[in-house]
Amino acid sequence: MMRFLLLFSRQGKLRLQKWFLPMTEREKKKIIRDMTTMVLARKPRTCNFLHWRDLKIVYKRYASLYFCCGLEDQDNELLALEVLHRYVELLDKYFGSVCELDIIFNFEKAYFILDEFLMGGEIQETSKQSIAKSIEASDMLQETMEEYMSKPAF
Amino acid sequence: MSPSVCLQEMIRVIRGARTQGEERGVIQRECAAIRAQFRQADNGGRSHNLAKLLYVHMLGYPAHFGQMECVRLIASSKYSEKRIGYLGAMMLLDEKQDASLLITNSIKNDLSHSSQHVQSLALCTLACMGSAEMCRDLAPEIERLLKASNSYIKKKAALCAVHIVRKIPELGEMFTPSAHSLLSEKNHGVLHGAVILITELCERNPDNLKQFRKSVPELVQIMKNLVTSGYSPEHNVAGISDPFLQVRILRLLRILGRNNDAASDAMNDLLAQVATNTDSSKTAGSAVLYETVLTIMDIRSESGLRVLAVNILGRFLLNNDRNIRYISMTSLQKIVQTDHTAVQRHRGTIVDCLKDQDASVKRRALELSLALVSAANIRSMMKELLLFLSTCPPELRSHAASGIFNAAERYAPSQRWHIDTILHVLVTAGGDVRDETVPNLIQLITAASELHCYTVHKLYRALISDIVQQSLVQVACWCIGEYGDLLLKGECEEITPMQVTEDDVLDALETVLQSHMSTPTSRGFALTAIMKLSTRITNNVDRIRSVVSIYGSCIDVELQQRAVEYNALFKKYDHMRAAVLERMPVIDRNSSGQTNGDPSVEPMKEFNQPKPVQGVLIQEPANQVCDLLDLLGDSNPPLLVTNDHTSTAPNSTNSTSSNVQDNLLDLLGGLEPTPAPSVTVFEKGGLSLKLQCDQQTETSTTVTFTASNSTQSDITGFNLQAAVPKSVQLQMKAPSGDLIPAQGCGTVTQTVLLSYTNKANLKMRVRLSYSSQGTACQDMVQIDSFPSPAWS
Repeated sequence: MMRFLLLFSRQGKLRLQKWFLPMTEREKKKIIRDMTTMVLARKPRTCNFLHWRDLKIVYKRYASLYFCCGLEDQDNELLALEVLHRYVELLDKYFGSVCELDIIFNFEKAYFILDEFLMGGEIQETSKQSIAKSIEASDMLQETMEEYMSKPAF
Repeated sequence: MSPSVCLQEMIRVIRGARTQGEERGVIQRECAAIRAQFRQADNGGRSHNLAKLLYVHMLGYPAHFGQMECVRLIASSKYSEKRIGYLGAMMLLDEKQDASLLITNSIKNDLSHSSQHVQSLALCTLACMGSAEMCRDLAPEIERLLKASNSYIKKKAALCAVHIVRKIPELGEMFTPSAHSLLSEKNHGVLHGAVILITELCERNPDNLKQFRKSVPELVQIMKNLVTSGYSPEHNVAGISDPFLQVRILRLLRILGRNNDAASDAMNDLLAQVATNTDSSKTAGSAVLYETVLTIMDIRSESGLRVLAVNILGRFLLNNDRNIRYISMTSLQKIVQTDHTAVQRHRGTIVDCLKDQDASVKRRALELSLALVSAANIRSMMKELLLFLSTCPPELRSHAASGIFNAAERYAPSQRWHIDTILHVLVTAGGDVRDETVPNLIQLITAASELHCYTVHKLYRALISDIVQQSLVQVACWCIGEYGDLLLKGECEEITPMQVTEDDVLDALETVLQSHMSTPTSRGFALTAIMKLSTRITNNVDRIRSVVSIYGSCIDVELQQRAVEYNALFKKYDHMRAAVLERMPVIDRNSSGQTNGDPSVEPMKEFNQPKPVQGVLIQEPANQVCDLLDLLGDSNPPLLVTNDHTSTAPNSTNSTSSNVQDNLLDLLGGLEPTPAPSVTVFEKGGLSLKLQCDQQTETSTTVTFTASNSTQSDITGFNLQAAVPKSVQLQMKAPSGDLIPAQGCGTVTQTVLLSYTNKANLKMRVRLSYSSQGTACQDMVQIDSFPSPAWS
């Protein structure tokens, strides 16, 4: 299972963090620090896999954002690369040509999409269309409620 | 209270802050506003406020005051508030917080909500941060949902069940029947979740393994459908149909087929099919192939299949994509022990990977190369490894060096090759080798006696070119010290001859001694080597003397001590110098763990015969070379260490006594402690009392009384009383007992301390009282003269 998923910028600023295992604040901060230092220190044409403590770290850079996840021993690293890619595709479909600013200003939506794709450190849906449909439906539900709430009461 | 801005506006403001302080200020203001709003009654902006708080939390600021708000929002009936509330719960609450228990009830309610989206929120949150208690409470609900008709909910419930099984393995039984039935689903999401659930159940409980082995045919069928089906737009990734599901199924098959022939047979065909048909030009295909290879190697597959797997890995090794090369080396590492010959075929490619730019790839290649070294390929492999050592990144250096040493030790074709290899490593990476390399190398050198000349020449040349690598310097100094005469002789078949004068050698050693790059240990080596040369060279002994005396006032205490001792060797004990500085014999490798100061060493007693002390030298040569001549050592006399000196110092040996404080002078004076003579002062009816004087000085004596019994029966109640003149002070120690066994089987001893001003006045009267053969006796003895001990 995936232990954590982090998104951070080239300057080391965290844009998204998802933890699939309970950890103290201190541990989380340490992991974030270690990941950013390790991944940002990598040269351009090196392989995407690292070793850290007993975990395999898979990272991929998309434009100005680094997507970094920590895997357990039995997990398939090449598949993790595909998982990261799939998540980027989902974001891209939702925001339309996604860029870092989209994720900054709409971070809660990025989380919602992630929660439709991964759960408990594992993939929950392998079909892009299916995820896109359910996100759309949830958004509709939200707007409908708000529209309802904002209607004048007479 | 200022009106709070909406989320996006706040983010803009925070990003616009030019300094950290400004940002902090903005955030503090916002947090204050949010806190105030939380305390208010229900208003429409609650979800916005929590969203703002979550953003602030992501920047790293404390946000614990939002926890209760999450609980409240989750209980709300509005979907938008629930959504943010659950997100907040996942980010701010974890099982260690008390507030997490409060949402258990809300989750329970939401699990039976009419809207599937609300249900999914609850399921997601439970799978993300559900504690053990929450899981126990809600497990029946999850089990019910697994049987729901909605595949959207089923897939989420399956993953929730996985989380529960991870938290509380005993609850796995609850989900076993449902897991079985889920395998017949068509929906890929549900299938995926089911496969993960079964994997988790099997890993936790071997009983489940047996049960689920029956599903192997079903899984094989699903896999076959995926592989052979045509293009399916919904699940296609780079030409592979649903690689995520394929990989998970392969992983489950691996667990089911492990150590089980029947299951392994059932999946043989499938694995062969997947291995041959999968297109690996893109990552997705490679991921599937990789998992297939791992599965083949782990189950009881037939040999043809294993060969196929290793060949796939070999193909991966040649791939342009670095990731795939890395992956293949990781897998080869796992199987190199079991399928050694198959991996050997790819040795060339692996060795080429040593030259790759990427540090991760290099590391893997190094480990694999070291595992592949064998007696047949040692020479060529070592060439490559040494080349690698000179160019490898610093973090891999020590690993590479120790790997090379191990390989050299196991497979060295000749001693000369072995020594050359170690020298090469020391020259290239001497700073990264482990500490025991130096003594190991020295031991190796002494063992290869015919190569001494060659070795010392090579080391000398290495030393004069560079003195930075400390291990090399230490070994070189030691060798020059030992074999300096061979070095000066000049000729050696295996190396181009080079004329070395005594001055050159001494220059080299002095450079080491004076350089600030040398560690204290190296300087110690150099000083000792200089000293040893004093017996091996003829012309420059004065130079050596002056060096030694200069260092007698060195700031480094260790060096100073040595220099002073060597000085003493020059001045007072010049007659012993040759013997002390003789060449060392071959060191016994097995006992290199013991140190110089081992008092239980037997051979000390053999010293009286003039026979060379071969096996006695149980010391690590490196550190003990110094102690060798550490004549003021506080443990056993190190003179024992050299051989052949018995002619000059026959008596120096037996002092294993407590006189360790006595130094060199006493030992060399032939002052071994022969036991002080004991005088019998009383003899009557089988009871005899002996007196022995130890440790006599001008004003005090220690007297030991020993009482023994030669009668047939024991003497009991033995008591000794003593009286002395007024000018003498007496102190009686406790006797060892009051029973003297019969027939000399044991004795009673009592020590008496006497102190006096004038030895001439020393007299003592002793009264003995005891019972012998049933009768009580009393006797008196006058002692007028005390025997003097062996030395004066």
